[in-house]
Amino acid sequence: MRKRRGGIKRSERLAGWAFVAPSLAVMIGVIAAPLFFSLIVSFYGYTFVNPTFSVFLGLENYKNALTDPYFWNSLWVTVKFVVLVVSLEFTLGFLVALMLNREIRFKRFYYTILTLPMVMSPVAVGLIWKMLLHPDLGVLNYFLGLLGIGPVNWLANSKMAFWSVLMVDIWQQISFMILLLLAGLVSLPKEPYEAATIDGANEVQKLFYITIPLMRPVMVAAIVIRTIFAFRTYDLIYVLTRGGPGISTEVLSYFIYRKTFMGLNLAEAAATSYVLLGVVMLFVIVAFRAVYRSPQEGT
Amino acid sequence: MRKWIVVWLSLLLALGLFGVTLRVLMEDVPETHIIKALLPEFEAKTGIKVEFEIVQYSDMHAKLVPQLMSPNCQYDLLEVDNYWAGEFPAAGWLEPLDEYVKRDNFDISVYLPSMLDMVGYYNGKLYMIPMYNYAMGLIYRTDVLKDETLKKKYREKYGKELSVPRTLEDYVQICEFIQTNTDLYGSAMQAQRGDPIVMEWSNYLFTLGGDYYDEKWHARINDEIGVKATELYIRALKNAAPPGALSFNLDDAYRVMAQGKAFSMISYNWMLPQLDDPEKSKVAGKVALEPMPGGVGLNGGWGWAIPKNSQHKEEAWAFIKWVESPEIAKRRALMGGAPTRFDVFTDEEVVKKYPWYPKVMWLVMYAKHVPEFQYSAQMIEVVGRELSLAATGEKSIKEALDTAANELDKLAKLAGLWKK
Repeated sequence: MRKRRGGIKRSERLAGWAFVAPSLAVMIGVIAAPLFFSLIVSFYGYTFVNPTFSVFLGLENYKNALTDPYFWNSLWVTVKFVVLVVSLEFTLGFLVALMLNREIRFKRFYYTILTLPMVMSPVAVGLIWKMLLHPDLGVLNYFLGLLGIGPVNWLANSKMAFWSVLMVDIWQQISFMILLLLAGLVSLPKEPYEAATIDGANEVQKLFYITIPLMRPVMVAAIVIRTIFAFRTYDLIYVLTRGGPGISTEVLSYFIYRKTFMGLNLAEAAATSYVLLGVVMLFVIVAFRAVYRSPQEGT
Repeated sequence: MRKWIVVWLSLLLALGLFGVTLRVLMEDVPETHIIKALLPEFEAKTGIKVEFEIVQYSDMHAKLVPQLMSPNCQYDLLEVDNYWAGEFPAAGWLEPLDEYVKRDNFDISVYLPSMLDMVGYYNGKLYMIPMYNYAMGLIYRTDVLKDETLKKKYREKYGKELSVPRTLEDYVQICEFIQTNTDLYGSAMQAQRGDPIVMEWSNYLFTLGGDYYDEKWHARINDEIGVKATELYIRALKNAAPPGALSFNLDDAYRVMAQGKAFSMISYNWMLPQLDDPEKSKVAGKVALEPMPGGVGLNGGWGWAIPKNSQHKEEAWAFIKWVESPEIAKRRALMGGAPTRFDVFTDEEVVKKYPWYPKVMWLVMYAKHVPEFQYSAQMIEVVGRELSLAATGEKSIKEALDTAANELDKLAKLAGLWKK
C-alpha cells in the first residue's frame, strides 16, 4: 500500500518536474546565471576596458566599495528613502483602501484614476513632474503663488530635492499599495464582522481586532514587494535629479549604474550590487519577522 | 564586350543575392533624420541598404559596449560621440581608417582641425571621420542690449558701454546687472549634476585658459584658473540664474530662454535655430550667437567609425564616403545639419540660408574638447558631482576641486597616461 502510493508520488513528482522544467530553465538562464556570473566578476579585476578574468582581486573590490565615503552616503540616502517611502505609502494606501472598501458612488471612477499612475512608465512620470515642478514655468508654483506662497525651489535645493523625489514616488507608487490592500480587504470573510456587530463592537474596534489581524499576510506581501521595488528606484532619480544637487538624492542603484556605465568598472559595481542585495535581504527578513512575530508576542 | 556584360550581370546577381544591409545605431537628433531622408539615394546608387536604429543618447553607450565586445557586432557602422572618442579606440574596438583614406584619396584636409583632433585622430591614427559639430557659444537677446535706459544705467554704474561681453568677467557682470535691473534672468544655466553642469562649466574653464589635465596628464582643474572659473561660475549661478538652475539640464534651460525669461545662455550652437523658430520660441528674431566670452568654448561632435568586428567594413566605408562627399555634406547643411568642413561652412548657398554659419565655424575652430581617454565618462561624472557639491555650498570650491583632481589623477594612472 505504502509502496504503491510512493510510486504514484514519484511519477507525479516527475510530471511535476517536467511541467516546471521550462520555466525553471528560463529562471536559471535569466536570473541564477547572471547572479552567479556577477558574483564571480566581483572577485576579479573585470572592467569594460579589460573584460577578462586575468586579475584575481579577492575581496579587494568589496573593500574599495565599502571604504568609499560616497557609497555610505548613497546607502544612507537609500535607506532613508526606502523607509520613508514604504511607510508613507503603506499608511496612506491603507487609509485610501479602507475608504474605498465601502458602498460609495463612482467607485469605478476612483479605481480608474488610481490605477493611472501605476501603468505609467517612471521615466514619463519623471518628465511630467519635472515640468510641474519647474520653479518658473511649473504649474505647482503657479498655484502656490495664487495662494500667496513664494516660489518653492523643488529640485534645485539640496534639502528640498529629496522630499520632492519622495513626493513624486509616492504619487506614482501609492496606487500599487491601494490596489493590493483593497484586494485583501475585499476578500476578507464577512462573518467575523457580523459577530462583532452583534457583540456591540464599534468601527474602531473592528479595525484593530478584526481587519488588521486578518490583513496581516496581505500587508506583509505589500510591504515586502514595495520595499524591494523601492530599493531599485533608479529611473525617477535619473530623470529628476541625477543624484543631485550635490549628492543629496544619490540612491544606491544610481550609484551602481554610474560605476558600471561611466566608470566601466564592472567588478566593483558587481561587488557594490552584492552589498545592496545583502541590505535588501536584511530589510526583507526584518520586515517578515516584525509582522509575523508580533501577534504571538502580543497575545 | 560580352565579357563585360557577364561581369556586370554576375555582379548584379551577387548584389541581389547578398544584398548587404548596414545597421547603424543613431541618436535621435535632427542630423540623423536629415541623413535618413537622403538614404534612398544611397541605396539606389549602391544597392546597399542602410537601417537606422534611432534611440536616445542616454541608451547608446550601454547598447554599444556589449556589441563592440562581442565577436560579431550587429552594428556595421557607428557614430561615435566625442565622449567615447578615447574609450573606443583605446579598447581596440575601431577599425583604423588611414588605409581606406589613402587608397581612395578621400580628402580629409577639408575638415576643421579642431574637429579632426576631437573625432578623427586618436594617438596619431585616424579612427573617425567628423560627422557633425555641437560646439558651444553664447546665445543672447539682442533687444536687451539695445535697451536705452538699461544702457544708460550700465554706463552710470560701471563707466562702460553695455555690449556683447568679450571676457568672462564682463559676461557674469552683465548677467548680474540684467538680473537685478530687469525681470529677466541673466543666464539660463544648466547646472544639473552630471554632464549638464560639466559641459557648461567647461566653457568657463577653457575660456580662462584652464584645462582638465596638463601635458603630462596630471590633473590641473584645481589650479588658480580652475578655482577662478568655478568662482565665476558659482557667482553666476547664485546671482544671475533662475532659482532652479541647479536641477536644469539642456531642455529646462532652453524652456526658460524660449519663454523669454532670460537674457542669455551658454549653449550648443544649434540651439539658435530652435530659439529663432517662432513656432517654438517667444524670442524668435531677437536672439543671436556669439563665441563664448573670452573666445574659447567647449567643442563637441560626432564622428563616423567602423567597428573592428563589423561584418561589412567595405560597405560601411562606402557609406561614409557617400555621406561625407561634398554634395551630400552640403545638402545636409542646407537641410539644417551642423557641418564639420571648411567648404560647407563657407559655401555661398549655405551662408545665404544660414548667415551665422561662418560664426559657427569660428566657434568650432577655436573650441576645445574635454580630454578623450578610456575614462572620459567617469571623469565627467566625478567633476559633475564635485561641482554640484560646491554649487550647493556643501563643499568649498577648493575642497571640491581638490577631490576631483585627486580622482582625475587616479583615472589617468589607471589609463596608463600619467607621466612622471
